[in-house]
Amino acid sequence: MSNRPDRILIVDDEELIVLTMRKYFEGLGYRVDAAHELEEAQALLANRRYDLVICDLRLTGIGGVEGLQIVADIHQRCANTRVVLLSAFGTPEIERESYNRGADAFLHKPKSMMEIASVAMNLLDQG
Amino acid sequence: MTGESALNRILQPGGITPVYQPVVRSKNGTVETFGLECLSRGPKGSNFEQADVLFEYVRLKREESLVDRACISEALRGARMLPGALRLGINVHASTLGRDHGFINFLRKTVEAAQIDVRRLTVEIVEHAPPWDGVSFLAAIEQLRKLGAQIAVDDVGLGQSNFKMLLDVSPDYLKLDRYFVDGCAIDPRRRSVIGAIRQLAADSHAHLIAEGVEKPEDAQCLQSLGVTLMQGFLYSKPLTLDAVREYLAA
Repeated sequence: MSNRPDRILIVDDEELIVLTMRKYFEGLGYRVDAAHELEEAQALLANRRYDLVICDLRLTGIGGVEGLQIVADIHQRCANTRVVLLSAFGTPEIERESYNRGADAFLHKPKSMMEIASVAMNLLDQG
Repeated sequence: MTGESALNRILQPGGITPVYQPVVRSKNGTVETFGLECLSRGPKGSNFEQADVLFEYVRLKREESLVDRACISEALRGARMLPGALRLGINVHASTLGRDHGFINFLRKTVEAAQIDVRRLTVEIVEHAPPWDGVSFLAAIEQLRKLGAQIAVDDVGLGQSNFKMLLDVSPDYLKLDRYFVDGCAIDPRRRSVIGAIRQLAADSHAHLIAEGVEKPEDAQCLQSLGVTLMQGFLYSKPLTLDAVREYLAA
């Protein structure tokens, strides 16, 4: 087993959310990268290995579901990477679709950092 | 770096930093600098500082042409300040050559502005996506040759750098991907692939350049297979403009 800290990718178009999550998880000892758009996240996923991705469902404003694309990409590239999707607009259909594509958790906003971190750490502990 | 601004920040002045990696000729115990490959790094402190992430992002955004142009401008502006007349490798996506009909004019003007003899240029074709206009692409290659530049095919042996490309382009250089180089001294299958590509290069009157040479034993193995042009950390990592000036002065 590696002693290196787990590596987390945070994907959200809201800079404040990215900064808050980055600070929180770095404070817990994780290595954290962040992306603000679909292609930036995909470029990182193509070149680095992550233990966990926390991703907003919507990255481009009204109607976007880019998070689903990221979940599908991760499922294709690295089955060991855990994915948490966050959404303020998640319908039961989208939630079901997220799990179908390989998401490990779907969280409805608003959620506190402690709630998000609790889900994230549980997934990481499962390995 | 937020959404829309990521590409803008890459393209704004100072967004691209050129670095230069020496290509050496290593033969009979002597090592001499043969040329420099111009490489690019994205904005400092961003995800795009790492070239692989930068260019994967650019390809996903389908903005290869804009970023190729920016990288070449920066690289040649810096190269102008380097002593000597070494060969200069610049990277261009096949899609840029196939789709950007103003690229050759851009290159001619950029080379003139940098006061660099175009005959020193090797245009290294990076091919990651097949769907480009083949007719326009080959016309661009022809124009590059007329300008006086030489042509290299990058990452030979991997992905889209296929035999069709080699036959269509008749490159002056084949750049052997690091995947085949790393560990060739202890892997007969890698040596077999290198030998086959070496023969292909010889039959095509092209030179073979081994990329990603990091171990002395791999360099020795490559020499024994007839490969003398090499590039990699064993000889030098990519260097900033100031560092490459020192390297060349040493």
